[in-house]
Amino acid sequence: MMEPKIGVYVCHCGSNIAGTVDVEKIAEFARSLPAVVVSRDYKFMCSDPGQDLIKKDIKELGVNRVVVASCSPQMHEPTFRRAVQEGGINPYYFEMANIREHCSWVTESRKEATEKAKALVSAAVRRVYYHQPLENKEVPVHPDTLVVGGGIAGIQSALEIANSGHKVYLVEKEPSIGGHMMQLDKTFPTLDCSACILTPKMSMVGAHPLIELLTYSEIDYVSGYVGNFRVKIRKKARYVDIDKCNGCGTCMTKCPVKIDSEFDEKLSKRKAIYTPFAQAVPNVTVIDKEHCTYFLKGKCRACEKFCERNAINFQQEDEVVDLEVGNIILTTGFKLFDPTPMKEYGYGRLDNVMTSLEFERMVNSAGPTTGKILLKNGSEPKSVALIHCVGSRDEKYHAYCSRVCCMYAMKFAHLVTEHIHGVQVYEFYIDIRSFGKGYEEFYNRVQKEGTVFFRGRPGEVTDVANTAEEKGKLVVQFEDTLVGKQMRLPVDMVILCCGIEAQADAQEVAHKFNISCGKENFFTEKHPKLDPVATMTDGIFIAGCCQGPKDIPDTVAQASAAAARVLALISKGKVEIEADTAFIDEDKCSGCRVCNLLCPYNAISYIEKDKVSRINEALCKGCGTCVAGCPSAAITHRHFTNEQINAELEGILV
Amino acid sequence: MEKNGHATFLDEVASIPACDKINECIQCGVCSGSCTTAEHWEHPPRKVIAMVRAGMKDELLKSNSVWFCVSCYLCTARCPRDIKPANIMHGLESIALREGYKPPTSTTTMYRTFADSIVQYGRVYEFGMMFTYFLKTNPLAALRMLPMALSLLTHRRMPLTPKKVKGKDELNTILNKLASGGGR
Repeated sequence: MMEPKIGVYVCHCGSNIAGTVDVEKIAEFARSLPAVVVSRDYKFMCSDPGQDLIKKDIKELGVNRVVVASCSPQMHEPTFRRAVQEGGINPYYFEMANIREHCSWVTESRKEATEKAKALVSAAVRRVYYHQPLENKEVPVHPDTLVVGGGIAGIQSALEIANSGHKVYLVEKEPSIGGHMMQLDKTFPTLDCSACILTPKMSMVGAHPLIELLTYSEIDYVSGYVGNFRVKIRKKARYVDIDKCNGCGTCMTKCPVKIDSEFDEKLSKRKAIYTPFAQAVPNVTVIDKEHCTYFLKGKCRACEKFCERNAINFQQEDEVVDLEVGNIILTTGFKLFDPTPMKEYGYGRLDNVMTSLEFERMVNSAGPTTGKILLKNGSEPKSVALIHCVGSRDEKYHAYCSRVCCMYAMKFAHLVTEHIHGVQVYEFYIDIRSFGKGYEEFYNRVQKEGTVFFRGRPGEVTDVANTAEEKGKLVVQFEDTLVGKQMRLPVDMVILCCGIEAQADAQEVAHKFNISCGKENFFTEKHPKLDPVATMTDGIFIAGCCQGPKDIPDTVAQASAAAARVLALISKGKVEIEADTAFIDEDKCSGCRVCNLLCPYNAISYIEKDKVSRINEALCKGCGTCVAGCPSAAITHRHFTNEQINAELEGILV
Repeated sequence: MEKNGHATFLDEVASIPACDKINECIQCGVCSGSCTTAEHWEHPPRKVIAMVRAGMKDELLKSNSVWFCVSCYLCTARCPRDIKPANIMHGLESIALREGYKPPTSTTTMYRTFADSIVQYGRVYEFGMMFTYFLKTNPLAALRMLPMALSLLTHRRMPLTPKKVKGKDELNTILNKLASGGGR
């Protein structure tokens, strides 16, 4: 090893540091430290002239270790590492002493601040003495992308990436893409028909030469790391040959089995061989094995008999596909809150109490009532109550606000008013949250149309009448909190504006992709404000309601953002991996595998052949957990070796 | 810093056991919407909470609100912020009695006669309790209860003589301990 020659540079940061710390004294103190050959103070070390000081000393004085005493490494460590590298030495021969956030900004007395800065500089000098040259590694990025979930978020991400000329695999667990947006009737606040704006995008996905659609498929297993993921996808048996079926629908008319349609929220029937809806992409039927007479009783095969293209294949089996992709976008969507546990609102017990998605289907012209709003007895309601915040803003269910319910409730109010002449609509809200572009104006529009807004969350909905007027009606009991009086309001129909919740299998999916879920099971983003599309696992991005409740415009924006992040990685073609990773001394490793379980990034695996554990440096984030956990002290963390840390402590304590 | 009046009242209520979440109320009104007796309250339960936060101690404790709470706990079961309104109502009753507010209802007389019956017999002696209660409040009102009393008597649901519970001595020990630990 070359004899260390340390250069120390103390930054004034204008008056940020120099105002409290005696910077000249620090520079002078540094000169007295072992191996220090030069020590200077300068107004702004991060400026070009400041960086040039370092480069010049490296060239002229042979400085080969650099300490800058300035701010937090968060901002400028990359700046100085670059300067050191441009000066001609390894960028890891650098250490930063934080004498601003940790010292001048938090210490009042000039004397104490100067003493503390001395200790921090002395620690950095002693540490940098033991630094070793490290090389950042580069790995290539596979240009293909996997998008999981075929709702509007997944469709948007897939199209953005494919339109830029890169291959996308779009995986959807249902038989067709479209997601929840396909179930909606109109969209707030502009009232475009949801299907009319979505189906063109769906057909584009279906026809795109660079998008490989894997519907009725689920992710089995994911391994690898940013740029180089390997994914196993299970294509569930459809019992219909996807290449032969042309979606003519004859099989559906011939199938004798009728079951509740999931797409229509059980308000209509579908067959055992079906497409979820008419505009399905791909337009290929699927056999529901659980209800098909042939699978249950061994005979029927009506669909097979009538299929002109011989597309039915009862022998089909699940197929597992292996893929290699560079990046993954998760757009797995949400689940509507089920209001059954809220007994006070009577869902499932009282006729004409319905959920919002049921109403979306009912009011849709392609839905079970061809768009007529009807009570169970077939007549039109004369009054409709909309209850906000069902399952949201409630600690017993979901503490968060679901963000879309206020707006879709007002959309419902508009649709009911539009569909039924002379109807009266009531909204029961706690607070109206109409925060988006054109949303407050829509609120105003609905008020003008005659909807009455009561501020108060109803205590209950009941069919027990107290008066003649209430007989045969649903009675909403509530307090008009702005009047301060308990009231009972008889209506014909009650719509529960249910909130958005995470998918039931969110945790399982998160585990598969090695990302994390928050308290309410939504996927956790890397930074809640500054990086809401990335995750803590590089190369895995999230968009749409799987990250948290959001409306369609926000979902589309986030999906495009995720696509942009993926494209950035693809166009760069390679990713740099930080060098401060851990490694195992295989002579010391006893093969106990404690580290395998401790590693939060699944970066350590046990090598059966050699009876030792090994760390995949591309996956290692340098957290140090395994180093502390290893009972044989066989693991070393580069750039955080015992020698370096002990020297740093010594520097602070002397 | 000296606290102003309304913060003092709020602190007083918030320090009652299980009432500490009063600040988290979002005034949604589900308590008032669920309340089985709200039509009798001058200020419904949600407003009671708002009045505590606004420091309107006198106006609140002089009103009939709070005293109509029948402890059905529907408000508490349905409260989305788990602030336990029923506990707050009972807490306010304690404050009102301690500080000499005169309740505008006969609820306290009912509480007292009930409690006295428990102290004396270890259980409720219905006939005696109702007799004392009407004597203290409005003896004429007792006439309206006569048909029910007769019906209870003929069905042998209301004995005329009191019965004591077993282990009355142990119960007394418990009650004395309670009384010495802060009163009832």
